[in-house]
Order: sequence, then structure tokens, then C-alpha cells
Amino acid sequence: MGESRNQLLLAGAALLLAIIIIGAAFFILGDRGEEGATATETGAREGAEAGETPAEEVETLVIGAPLSLSGKYAKEGEMSLMGALAVVNWINDQGGIKVGGKTYKLEFIFYDDESNPDRVVSLVEKLIAEDNVNFLLAPYSSGLTAKAAPIAEKYGAIMLSHGGASDKIFTQGYEFIVQILTPASRYFVSVLDMVKAIDPEAKTVAIVYKESEFARTVAEGAKSYAESLGFEVVYFKSYPADAQDLTPVLQPLKDINPDVLIGGGHFADGQLLARQLYELGIKPKLIGLLVAPAIPDFYDNLGEAAEGIVYPSQWEPKVKYSPDNVPEGYEWYGPTVEEFIQYFKEVARERGKGDIMPSYHAADAGAAILFLAKAIEKAGSLDPEKVREAMNDLALYTFYGKLKIDPETGLQVGHDMVVGQWQNGKKVIVWPREASEADPLYPLPGYSG
Amino acid sequence: MTVIDWFALRTSLKRAAPALALYTILLILYFAVPGKSQLIAQILFYAVLGQAFNIFMGMTGYVDFGYVAFLAAGAYGFSIAILLLSGVGGGWMFIPLGLLIAAIIAASLAGLVGAIALRLRGAYFAIATIGVNEGLRYLVEGLNILGGSIGLYIVKDMKELVGREGYQLAATTLADMLMFLLAGVAVLTTSLILSTRMGFALQAIREDEDAARALGINVTKYKIAAFMISGVLGGALGALNWALKGGVVEPAQVFLILYTVEAIVIVMLGGAGTLLGPIFGALIYIGLNFTSNVYIAPVLESAGIKATGLHLIILAPILLAVIIAAPQGLVGAIRSRAPSRLREIVV
Amino acid sequence: MEVGQIFATILYGTLIGVIYGVATVGLNVIFGVLRIVNVGHGAFIMVGAYTTLVLYGSLGVPPPITIAASILLGAVLGLITYYLVIKHLVDAPELATLIATFAIGILLQETVKAIYGSDTRGFSWNLGFAEVLNVNIVYSRLAAALLGLLLLIALYALIYRTKLGLAMRAVVQDKEGAMVVGINVDRIYALSYTLGIMITVASGSVLAIYLQSGIHPYMGEIYTLKGFVIAVMGGLGSIIGAFVAGVLFGLFENASYLILSQIEGIQPLVLTRSIAFLLLLTILLLKPTGLFRR
Repeated sequence: MGESRNQLLLAGAALLLAIIIIGAAFFILGDRGEEGATATETGAREGAEAGETPAEEVETLVIGAPLSLSGKYAKEGEMSLMGALAVVNWINDQGGIKVGGKTYKLEFIFYDDESNPDRVVSLVEKLIAEDNVNFLLAPYSSGLTAKAAPIAEKYGAIMLSHGGASDKIFTQGYEFIVQILTPASRYFVSVLDMVKAIDPEAKTVAIVYKESEFARTVAEGAKSYAESLGFEVVYFKSYPADAQDLTPVLQPLKDINPDVLIGGGHFADGQLLARQLYELGIKPKLIGLLVAPAIPDFYDNLGEAAEGIVYPSQWEPKVKYSPDNVPEGYEWYGPTVEEFIQYFKEVARERGKGDIMPSYHAADAGAAILFLAKAIEKAGSLDPEKVREAMNDLALYTFYGKLKIDPETGLQVGHDMVVGQWQNGKKVIVWPREASEADPLYPLPGYSG
Repeated sequence: MTVIDWFALRTSLKRAAPALALYTILLILYFAVPGKSQLIAQILFYAVLGQAFNIFMGMTGYVDFGYVAFLAAGAYGFSIAILLLSGVGGGWMFIPLGLLIAAIIAASLAGLVGAIALRLRGAYFAIATIGVNEGLRYLVEGLNILGGSIGLYIVKDMKELVGREGYQLAATTLADMLMFLLAGVAVLTTSLILSTRMGFALQAIREDEDAARALGINVTKYKIAAFMISGVLGGALGALNWALKGGVVEPAQVFLILYTVEAIVIVMLGGAGTLLGPIFGALIYIGLNFTSNVYIAPVLESAGIKATGLHLIILAPILLAVIIAAPQGLVGAIRSRAPSRLREIVV
Repeated sequence: MEVGQIFATILYGTLIGVIYGVATVGLNVIFGVLRIVNVGHGAFIMVGAYTTLVLYGSLGVPPPITIAASILLGAVLGLITYYLVIKHLVDAPELATLIATFAIGILLQETVKAIYGSDTRGFSWNLGFAEVLNVNIVYSRLAAALLGLLLLIALYALIYRTKLGLAMRAVVQDKEGAMVVGINVDRIYALSYTLGIMITVASGSVLAIYLQSGIHPYMGEIYTLKGFVIAVMGGLGSIIGAFVAGVLFGLFENASYLILSQIEGIQPLVLTRSIAFLLLLTILLLKPTGLFRR
């Protein structure tokens, strides 16, 4: 016993030692390897500044990102990655981007941040200082973005937030962070607008949301917008992030019987909410939930309980943004919706994901790359400060819809949400009217009145 | 206690020397290796986390699953100081004041929890501390105090206090330097405890609490003292890492039990109750993590193997193996096997 | 406050309480015999929930029958983890077992995640409902609670009506004495631990039938925490205590919601969590052996 225990121990110690040595080797050799890999790219940048390289030469511009490929945002992270790669491939197939007389092909590098803010910092530093990246996609969620921001600003790199819908981060005076998606406080704007337009009778709104930074920002934004439209918010309650039974918080709604119920939070609780509303027989005229219904699994998991549920979405594969309907003051750029889906599917196949459709997370990231690429072209320079300035005047119309930022804060002000609904087991866009595929199913089947 | 115990001071300095030397090496690497400063800062964070956690768990054998609550208390304390100064001014005062309030809140929490929960033994204590951590988190969210589930955002206020460049410096290099300082303080505190009566008392408690009590050792006093010291160090760490460096203090983040788990892993890998253990533990943990993530995963990825997020699946068996085969951890294993001269250095 | 609300509170408090009870007894069986707190408890519940999800979702096995599969799977997992890990730690300091069971939990979570991904999943097993006092009484929830009750009765019979149960109780009472009369204590440890895991995994299936949604690799964590509160309430190690405490806890949670929801400006369901842990601390301080033990 003692003998074998000693051997085990020795083996364990040897294993640990080996890990340390390998780690140290990577630590030292890693640097050298990287130098080799990015040499051309660094050279290109120096050349660009000196203006020596001939105009015909195609060079590489690296865009980097810490992505959440594991941990709690793994699903969103994988989608973002594929969306970004799809747009990068599209741009490269068009011949790259032109900056000051030279052509650049894009390259996208990324590391997994495990959805953990304490990992993000070292990865962002590696991307900027070692991989020589000046343009980054921000990590998912505002907690991670906040942690990455000081380092990015220290090195003067631009971060485009494609997965952080939080408003709060943009009130903190960061100069180089720019938002691509519609901020959380405006998530339910289009859903409420829709109700107002199709049913003047609807008066009462109940809000039930997950107690988290994102969902509460959404809920509070929705509350004040609903009140500004003349609705009465009759119920405003939350549930803890990992709740498994919402019966206590939902049951009172059976008696209150609101016209509209909106809320939710994320995947897990959104499904739970939909299921228990159905089981407990709570049938308002409209149920609008965050995030969860946008995922194709929603109907598989819930069946009939999913029918009629409405959701606000940053983007849907069936949106009708195209070069033919560019709004005034906007300029079309990038792939069409069909092209984006085609490029995305190619990337997904290459990554062994099979034949899947892009979610709005993929579109968010793709749009971020487009916005960045156009800004670099407009600036005619790779200098982050000039690029950031160019972004202020940009008004793009893309497969993702409108993109325009508030120069002061970097908040997204151009992009609108669409409203989707599960009808007969399929997702359809029901609002805004000019982009809709079908009329909204309203009131919900089984609405008791 | 009127005379300073010079002997204990000298032994403790001697004890602390190897750990301090290691931190100095890390400090040199921080400035010497370009583009890796944040990786080193990350190792440092986990080393200090382990060091602070170790003072209580390593020395008494009690597992505090709710340890992260102290980090949260510190982060909130630091933010409160900034919000108090915001609009009043005071410039750089926010850092000492923030750390002071962080320490006070963490110490009060440790005192309160210690006075209640430390009357419980082993498993009951572990369960109670989880309860404290979760209870506090949902109290903040449910009562909607301190920013509720949205949390406190203090970047803007810090920028107003010390300017944009000042904040830039504070949130990066300065925060990391303060973390190094905290590492030194943690090491010296640990070695001082080990070299004094308190260290012997704690060791007696770990071996056999009832026997220690029977010998006339004031068990409760020493346990609470160790708990509070550990808690204050944790509070300072939370303040530096999340409030100063991160600028956002959000409940879902600062009450995350994962950090306690990581602290346990680091302490167990390195060796509970040792001075060098947490440093090695953090080196192994973050080294393994960073290497697999940044160097190995992309290679496997290009070969078509999805390799992200596998570190936990690897870490759990390693942890089990360590507990079964080498419960004293890496440093402990070296210590019990090494020749006595080497042992003296490593202790 | 309307009558319907009070009725719903009592009904659903009791039903989820029964589920809580089943989801806690495993913790108690293991602690009662081996004096080990299984910190990875929730991960075993999660495994049970996945068993039902996979068997019903892809093979169409009726959910009540999937409980049997969970019991079998629990036996396998229990024996493996016992002989690989727990056996070596029975006499080790508490610290070691706390961390070891924790690591087992992480391993289970990450393995399930590697196989099924981190997506939240669910299924639909709709049995209809009856409406009383404007409250929907959901039949599938009633069924889940009944199945849970059956499991508890079976466990009770095993421990109080069989020779094995007698041996287990003998080990609990007096380990040395049990050895003297020829009981193989190591085997009793193995069997008790495995029994605890079996009922825990089975409770995961019951839970899945009750909720039918929110199934993901980390769903168990909250039941570890609630399980601790309930186990301490009922007295760590007591089986009937766990059941009674489970029902009381379910009622307590729902009732405290009803009361807290009368206060403006706070979030009652979130606060019930804090209250639950406050209750835990109070019990630990006043009567650490549980409410029902003398």
C-alpha cells in the first residue's frame, strides 16, 4: 500500500513537473513562433507607414477577438465566430479592402476566453501586443467588456461590441468602444410599437424578468417605454438567475390577466417561463420573451407551449434588407442577406457544424466586421484614432440593417430590432410591417379575454 | 505582548524569503517579457487568491465554500469609496480610502460570519458558508441595493477623479503593482502567523480541535483571527481586481462560487498550509489553462478537433488524483520527501 | 390576497416540496452512513434529468419508466465513484472528501456538456390539467410528485424492512460493534453510498418530469444548495427528516413569496433565496442536528 502510494505520488509529481516544463517551453518558444508568424504582417504595417511598398501588393490586416467558446456564453461565442468569419471571407473574395492605395486581405484570429473576465485581459493583451492587432471585436457581455476595456485603451486599440447590449458600459467614457447591436434598453421598443399599432384596446402590461444585468436593463427600458406609449405596467417582478420553478411569480398573473406579458432573460429561464405560463393557463393577448424563442430548439423543447410566442430579434435570416431598399442618408455595404447565409453555411460546414442557419449573434459579429472594414476604408489609414473618427460619420445599410453610432458615446443608434413569432412551429417575422412575412397572430390562441 | 518577538520576526522573514523571491521573479518578468504582463498579472491574482484562502483553509482545515463573498465585499467597499468621493473630489485618495473601506467591510463580514459559523464543525461550516455567499448575493439583487443585479459602474467616476490618463494607469500598471504589494503582505502575514503562537495553535486545531481545546488553547479566538485575516486579504484582492482593474462590480460576477473552487484547486495542487504552495498552484493552473487555450487549442482546432473548454474535464481528475495520492500537494510532497536542508528552504 | 393564490401556494408548495424531499434523501443516506457530505450532489440529479430527457426525447420511453433507467445508471455511477475515489477517503480528513465529491460533480457536468453541449433542453409530456379556483392543477406535476413519493416509500422499506437496511443502521449506530457481529463495514459503505447515488439520480428523473424544461449541465447546482438547507433542516442523515423538511421547505418558499410580494419595491422570488439561507444559518446555530431529532 505504502509502496504503491509512493509510486503514485512520484508519478503525479512527475506529471505536474512535465506540465510546468511544457508550459514554460510554450511560454518562451511561443513568443518566437509568433514572431515568425506575424513577421509579414508587422512588416506590412511598418511599410504602410513609410509608404514604400508597391501599390499592387496585397497585404494582410489582422482583426482579433477574445471569444467565449466555452463557459456560459459558448453558444453565442461559436455563432459570433462563424458570423465574423463569413464576412471576412466575403470581403476577401471581393478582393479585400483598399486603404490609402493599398489592398488588404483580412485575417481573423481569436482565443477562447471561457466566458471569464479574468481570462479576457491577458488574451486581449496578447492579441494587441503580440499578434499586433489594432482592431478587436469586444468579448461577449458587458462584464467581460469592462474588464478588457482598460487594456485595449491603454494600447489604443478599437473594440467593437457585438455581443454587449448593455447601455451602461457606454456611459463610462470609453473612447474606443463602439456598439453594433441595439442596446438593451430598447429591446422591446418594436414589440410594444407593434401592439400599439394593431390593438388600441390593449392597456395593461406585465413584465416578468430574470434578475441579471442584461434582463433588468431590458425590463426597465421596456417599462418606461410602455408607460410613454400610454400602457399601464401592472406587474413588474423578477426571478433569480438560476430559478427552476417560477410558479409563485407567475400564478398571480392568472387573476391579474394582463393584456401583454413581456420579459424573460436568457435561454434556460426563457424556456421555463414559456412552459410554465402554458401549464398554468396564463393567456394574455401577447407573450413576448427575450433571447430564448430566437433559438430554433425553442419549439422542439416546448412544442405547443411555444406557439404564438413573440420575440424581439437583432436580426433574422429572413429580413428584407437589400441594396434595393436603402433608406435615405445610408450607404449599402457588404454581402446581401442571401450571400451572408451562404458564406456562413460554408464556414459552419468547414467547422463541422453541419447545415445550420446563422443566429442573430452571428449577424451581430458579421455586421461588426463590416462596420470596421468600411471605417478603415473611409479613414484611409490603419491608425485607430482616424478609424474611430471615421466611424462617427458612417451610416451603413447592410444585410443586418442600419448601422450608425452616437459619436459621443459609441452607442448604437441606427439599428432596429425586428419582431419574430412562432406560428405553426415556424419562426416568422411579423414586424415591422414593411419587413414582415406574415401578420402577427394576435391575440394569442386561447386568449380568454 | 509589549515586547516585539524578534526571534519570531526573524524566523518568519527567513520563511518568507523563497516566496518573496518567487514574486520578485514574477515582477521582473512582468516588465521584462513584452505582451505577457497580463498573463503574469493573472497568475498573480490566482496566487494571491490561493495565498489568502490558504491562511484559513490550509492552516485550520476548514473549507470556506463562500470565500468569494469576501472578495465581493472588498469590491463593493472600494466602489462605495469611489461613489462617496465622486463629486467631492479627492483625486488619488480614492485608492487608499477604497482599500480601507474594502478592508473594513471584509473584516466586519468575516467577524460576523466567523462568530456565527465558526461554532460549527467541518461539513456544517462548509454548508453554512455557501449559505452566506448565496444569501448575500440574493439580498443585493432582491432588495435592489448597491445597484442590484445591474451592479456598480465606477469607471466614469474614477476618470473624473484622476483624469483619463490617470485612470488608464490606475486600472493597468498601478493595479498590478498593488497586487504585487498585496502578495508580499499575504506572504509576510502567513509566515508571521506560522512563526508565532498563533501558528502552533492553528496547527493544533487542524490536527485535533477537541484536544487543542482541552490543552487550554482558545480555539475560537484563533479561528476567528485567521478567518478575519484571510477575509481582509481577500477583500483587498477583490477591490483591486474587480473594482479598480475591472471598473464594474456585478453580483453575478463577484459572488461566483467558481472563484472559491479555483482557490481550492490552487491550494490543493500546490499544498495546503505551505507558503509556496499557492504560487506553484497558480502557475500550474493558469499555465495549463493558458497553454491549452492559446497554443494547443488553435492547433487542434485547425486539425478539426474542437478543444475549447476541456481544461475542467482534465482538471477534475488531476484534483482527485492529488487528493487521493498526494493530499499534501506538490510543495507538501517535495517537503516530505526532500533532504532536510532543502526542506528548510521550502517550508 | 385571493383564495386562489393561497390554494396555489399550498398546492404547489407541497408538490415541489415532495420533489425537494426526494432530491435530498440521497445526501442524507450518504452522510448518515459514511459521514461524507456529497458536494457533487446536484450533478447526479442533473444526470438523472438527462436520462429522462434522452430516453423520452429520442426513444419515446414513457417518462415514469425512465426512472428505472436512472436507478440503474445511478448504481453504475455509484459503484464506480465509490471504488475509484470514495473508498480511499473514508478515513481521510473532511477536507479531502468535500473536495473529492466536488471534483466528481465537476467531472460529471463537464462530461455531460462534452456529450450533449451546454444548451438548455426540455421536452413535452402533457397530461392535461384541472381548473380549481382559477388555478390550473397540472397533472404531470401531480404524477411526478406521486412517483417521487413511491421512491421514498421504497427507500424507507429497504432501510427499515430488510436485512441490508438493518446492517446499515447497525453501522450507523456503532461501527465497531457492527464489525464484531460480522458485518462487512466496507461493503455496507459501498452499498449505502451507491444507494444514495441511485436515489439521487432517480430524483433527477422525477424532477425532469415535474419541470420538463431547464435541463442543462449546470442545472444541479441549485439543488445542491437547496439540498443542504433541507438536509440540515431535517437533520443530516435522517430519511424521514429529509422528506418532511423538503415539504416544509417547499411550503416555506412559496409562502414567503406570498408574504414578501406584499412589500413594494423589492423582488420577492429573489429574496426567498436569502430567506432560505437565513433559515439555514438559524437552524445550524440553534439546532444543528435538525428540527426533528432529539
